[in-house]
Amino acid sequence: MNLNKKKIVGWLFFLIAIGLFCIQMGYFFLQSRYGMEYSDNRIFYVINIIIFVSMFFSIFLLLTVTNKWKMIIGSILVILVLLLVGLLINHSSKINHIVSISPDLKHVFVIKENTETGQSTYYRTYYGIFARPKENLPYKTNGEFKVKWLEKDIAALTYKAADNKIHQYIGTYGDRNGGSSYSYVGPSIQGKWEVGNMRIISASEGITIDNNGEIERYDWGNIVQFGTIAVVLMKNNEAQWTIGLNENFKSNSNEPIPPLVKLPYIKQPWIIISQ
Amino acid sequence: MKNIIIGTICIMLVGITVATYFFEKHPELTTPGRSQPIEEQDTQEFEPPQPSPFLPIYEDNSIGYSLQNDQLQITFNKGDDWSIVPIEKEKLFAGEYNGNAQELIENSYILTQNRAAFLYSEGNSIKLKYSLNQGETWEDSVVTAQYPTIRFRKVNFLNESFGYVIISGDRTMSQEWTTVYITNDGGKQWRETNHSNVTRLIYDGGFVDENTGFLSFGILNPIEPDLYVTQDGGNSWSKANVMIPEKYHEIFVMSEVPFKEENHLAVYINQGPNGDYEGGKVKGKFTSNDNGKTWEFSMEVLPNESE
Repeated sequence: MNLNKKKIVGWLFFLIAIGLFCIQMGYFFLQSRYGMEYSDNRIFYVINIIIFVSMFFSIFLLLTVTNKWKMIIGSILVILVLLLVGLLINHSSKINHIVSISPDLKHVFVIKENTETGQSTYYRTYYGIFARPKENLPYKTNGEFKVKWLEKDIAALTYKAADNKIHQYIGTYGDRNGGSSYSYVGPSIQGKWEVGNMRIISASEGITIDNNGEIERYDWGNIVQFGTIAVVLMKNNEAQWTIGLNENFKSNSNEPIPPLVKLPYIKQPWIIISQ
Repeated sequence: MKNIIIGTICIMLVGITVATYFFEKHPELTTPGRSQPIEEQDTQEFEPPQPSPFLPIYEDNSIGYSLQNDQLQITFNKGDDWSIVPIEKEKLFAGEYNGNAQELIENSYILTQNRAAFLYSEGNSIKLKYSLNQGETWEDSVVTAQYPTIRFRKVNFLNESFGYVIISGDRTMSQEWTTVYITNDGGKQWRETNHSNVTRLIYDGGFVDENTGFLSFGILNPIEPDLYVTQDGGNSWSKANVMIPEKYHEIFVMSEVPFKEENHLAVYINQGPNGDYEGGKVKGKFTSNDNGKTWEFSMEVLPNESE
């Protein structure tokens, strides 16, 4: 590497170190001012490691360092990195992160679980990297989580609560019908929907699922809405079905007799209503 | 230039050290459920529903069940261990049932050392969930795949293999459809017997052996017992002749299920819901020597004698 190239790369590392350092300081500002956190707390340690590595590379490339100092600086780098890795592992044991990125890479679904208390919190993310706590999950969790993106903007988290029952939490990142007309999923899907041998009937008294002759009725008290595009049907305090609205969904609830609409597919226990 | 670089690096080193120290020392800022403010939500603490202590209902000294927390559980050792019966509670009370659902419907289940069985309704079908190993494993059998809204329900086994289910449904006013199913393989498969063609509301029914069974009809202001008998395992049903002494006309009006006694059959016929003879609780005991076709009055019995 000639001297010029060496300098350029050195400055590049130096700038990376400064840039990331500014992000870290900005994080503390956002944390104290707005209660922001990293989407994944471990990002804090990873950024620190990158800063250290960049700093030390920039020293080697920009300054003339004797072999003795190279040894000393190299050893300090190794110690600091190991220390940070240790802290990262320690932090991971205390907080379980469930982070999932949407298929179109636009949204990040974040849940952080305090492994000591079983308290889990859903985070709303900002720019992917930052997040703010939005809602505590209603049940204590035991570390078993599964995330599935039903749509580009609907993430379904299935988790086992401490009472051993299966629950669902739905993260939604969008709206339907232009976002203006409907806020309640149940009424907006009023009508009959059919897929294979299964019928979903949303009427004024609740939602009925006729699954090949097995009829289950859910009144509104057992239907939990998430955002404006998904509901979970509960039975005995346990999630049974999740109904989400497809991005092309158009409500026909204003029609006097909503037509029977055939749905293209269903993957139990998730139903996507589309039209 | 050298000094600027070294100076900047030193500042960054100190900054990161302080930041890391702060990050580690204040876990409440990054730990869910600690003191963070929760956006757009009241910060009320959600607690999972705490299970309330079981209030078991015992069949005998050690066998019992509980419907606490909307979950059917059974015990075979006085409540030391409970096993969950995998049926949703409302399926046990489906159809026409107006009770408080705190206790199982009488006769809709069997709970003995050798067999636990629960009759339930799922969708349009009537099913029996049973366990022969005290709740370790459960089997499901379909009694009938299609049945209208169920009212009366009864299941019983006379031995390891022979059992019967009597259900009624599709009630309109005081008329309904009553069907008897029998099994000869311990409940795996059920066969519908021929219909008795009686559409009065059923009061009770049962078999005394694999061939001889009874259906007792009439629960709304009955004036005489309406007992039907089969002697061929349900292939044909005929009305039994209950010879009520004149003295007891319109007094003993509802026939209970006959049972075997010595070398004949016996049955208690009670006074129905409106009886007021001798306080209304006295029953008439009738016996039959022709396997249930004709019944003769034997004696009056006090309620505790007939239990």
